[in-house]
Amino acid sequence: MKKRILALLMAGVLAVGLTACGGTAGETEETGGEAAETAGIAAADLKVGLILVGEAADAYNKNHIEGMQAACETLGLDYDTQVVVKTNIGEDSTCADAIGELIDAGCQAIFADSFGHEQYMVEAAPDYPDVQFCHATGYQSASDDLDNTHNYFAKIFEARYLAGIAAGLKTETNVLGYVAAKPYAEVISGYTAFYLGAKSVNPDVTMLVNYTNEWSDATKEATNAQALIDQGCDVISQHSDTSAPATTAENNGVFAVGYNDDMISVAPNAALVSARINWGSYYEYALGCLLSGEAIAQDWCGSYAENACYLSDLNEAIIAEGTKEAIEAAAAGITDGSVQVFAGPLHGVNANGDELNLAEGEFYTENESSSAPAFDYIIDGITVLS
Amino acid sequence: MNNLINFLTAGVLAAAPLLFGVLGELLTEKSGNLNLGVEGMMFMGGIAGIVGPYYYEKAGGTNPYVALLIALVCALVCAGLGALVFSVLTITLRANQNVTGLALTMFGTGFGNYFGEAIGHADPSGFLSVSTSVKSLFNSPVFPDPLVNLPVVGKLLFSHNFMVYLAVILAVVLAYFLGRTRTGLNLRSVGESPATADAAGISVTKYRYLATVIGGAITGLGGLYLVMNAAAGVGGAWVHDCIDGYGWLAVALVIFAVWSPKRALWCSLIFGGLACMRYYYPISFIPASIYDIVPYIVTAVVLVFVSLKRSRSNQPPESLGLSYFREER
Repeated sequence: MKKRILALLMAGVLAVGLTACGGTAGETEETGGEAAETAGIAAADLKVGLILVGEAADAYNKNHIEGMQAACETLGLDYDTQVVVKTNIGEDSTCADAIGELIDAGCQAIFADSFGHEQYMVEAAPDYPDVQFCHATGYQSASDDLDNTHNYFAKIFEARYLAGIAAGLKTETNVLGYVAAKPYAEVISGYTAFYLGAKSVNPDVTMLVNYTNEWSDATKEATNAQALIDQGCDVISQHSDTSAPATTAENNGVFAVGYNDDMISVAPNAALVSARINWGSYYEYALGCLLSGEAIAQDWCGSYAENACYLSDLNEAIIAEGTKEAIEAAAAGITDGSVQVFAGPLHGVNANGDELNLAEGEFYTENESSSAPAFDYIIDGITVLS
Repeated sequence: MNNLINFLTAGVLAAAPLLFGVLGELLTEKSGNLNLGVEGMMFMGGIAGIVGPYYYEKAGGTNPYVALLIALVCALVCAGLGALVFSVLTITLRANQNVTGLALTMFGTGFGNYFGEAIGHADPSGFLSVSTSVKSLFNSPVFPDPLVNLPVVGKLLFSHNFMVYLAVILAVVLAYFLGRTRTGLNLRSVGESPATADAAGISVTKYRYLATVIGGAITGLGGLYLVMNAAAGVGGAWVHDCIDGYGWLAVALVIFAVWSPKRALWCSLIFGGLACMRYYYPISFIPASIYDIVPYIVTAVVLVFVSLKRSRSNQPPESLGLSYFREER
């Protein structure tokens, strides 16, 4: 009998406890929602999560961290306590776990940096309408019906075009080589812009492209670069994560144009310049929106003019004469819109067999419908080897 | 023709790190120890081999030959230490060799990446790298220019860096040692039947320790090669995960070469050639991933043939992977 009374009592306590918990949870949610919609979040209360695909030290992720740090500094936030960073989050269910942990930690916005993270962001978004899900390099925000998913990227093709000028002026064999990661539009758009930049100052230039089929595989990138050099390329550029193409170029006495990272320190006699993305410009914008209560853009693609992408310092000791002036002139044209990267006459075919045929004076508008690059035509002058 | 010569040269450069790995593992396996930690030991040799000269240069050292010597010693010692841990666990404590080897791979991978990232991150340039003079010592031909510039054979035979020739010499020495010397015979008997060797007065423990540690140290040279070489590796600047499966490829190659150092020479050349073939002779309808799995398919096929053929000279050491308990003789 005593036991039964005790059991009943315990059940009662539990029930009261549960309602109490439910009540408080509901209340906080409400206040959070209100704050996000109307007056924005007070700077001291803002907390955001950053999901990174790899180590904090590798160039791609480091750029995201540095961008976030810079944004925090500009906006007067404390990076160490207000940003929760999750490193080494693969493009698998660990991403879903990371999102859950960040929400538990009270983040009002979550940023993720790798293409494959997107589906986990989109899955979690409907359950947490007050949390903003911002995904770099993705494309789904424009088509899903969720207000709290966002995509962001930079018009890196503009910076690659400018980097291409350095390569076009430097090459003597008039054959450029490109260590490409995967045959996706993001990569193709990038190398086409690089080639067109080189061609704008050197009409005779052609380019060979080899895919490694990995975003980051140092030994394959080296073998790939060596093969390009063996086939006559004397300036190597890359859309891959490591410094291997630059060091291979240096060992062969040819030149390199990097990506993501300034490679002069690792290949001082080869690295001409690097095209880089300044993620900080987006983070500053997005965190600013959270603070002011404005809605974050569904799709954000910062341009060279907005400093969302830029060139690292030129390697003055080895660049060809006139490189600096040529890049400055083209940069001014890109900034004021008088220079178009994908300008006609331009002819190319993509993997589906679709043809692009632009006449003189026409141009292709990249990032027209989404922040993820869409140009996937292999244009005349570029040869894809393997 | 030019393309063929370039391809073969690239193949040789890609084969050398595999050859180091195969020879080290082969020596280890001949003693009856199956060390699956090759990948880990390559990481350990690679990271130590670049950290040594990095700190030498940070401390003001400028002589590239001293840096090179430091790199070699560090790579040998660090990878050897990894193998020593394996030996203590499996020979003295008789732990399971497979499990211990896998643990060594995980440890070595983490060890290399951790120190590579930490030291690179702390450097103002953001890279853990050595100076151009050290890089060129690891990459320039050892033979004088007139030989290197000979048509065809110059590039094929004389244009390589010193580590390529070191690997070939090691293979020849190992073949002689295992096939023609009494110590080699003793070592093989330890791998075939430790109980018999023990009865004949051969110290099983001593032979297994020495073969495993020296073998491990040799695989470390493969790691060093990958870190320093610019055509088949990362060219003197540490990159996260730069060993990337070469250790496992070496383990597979030991089987492909059916435990013979001489065969290891051309077997690693085939694997090295496969690694760069698609960049020189692309075949459009074969997906790139096929090239990557060919070595493993070949290994499986060889295993099938070896077990079908049952020829006595083409078998793995009889007691490979088994711990030796003297009390159970």
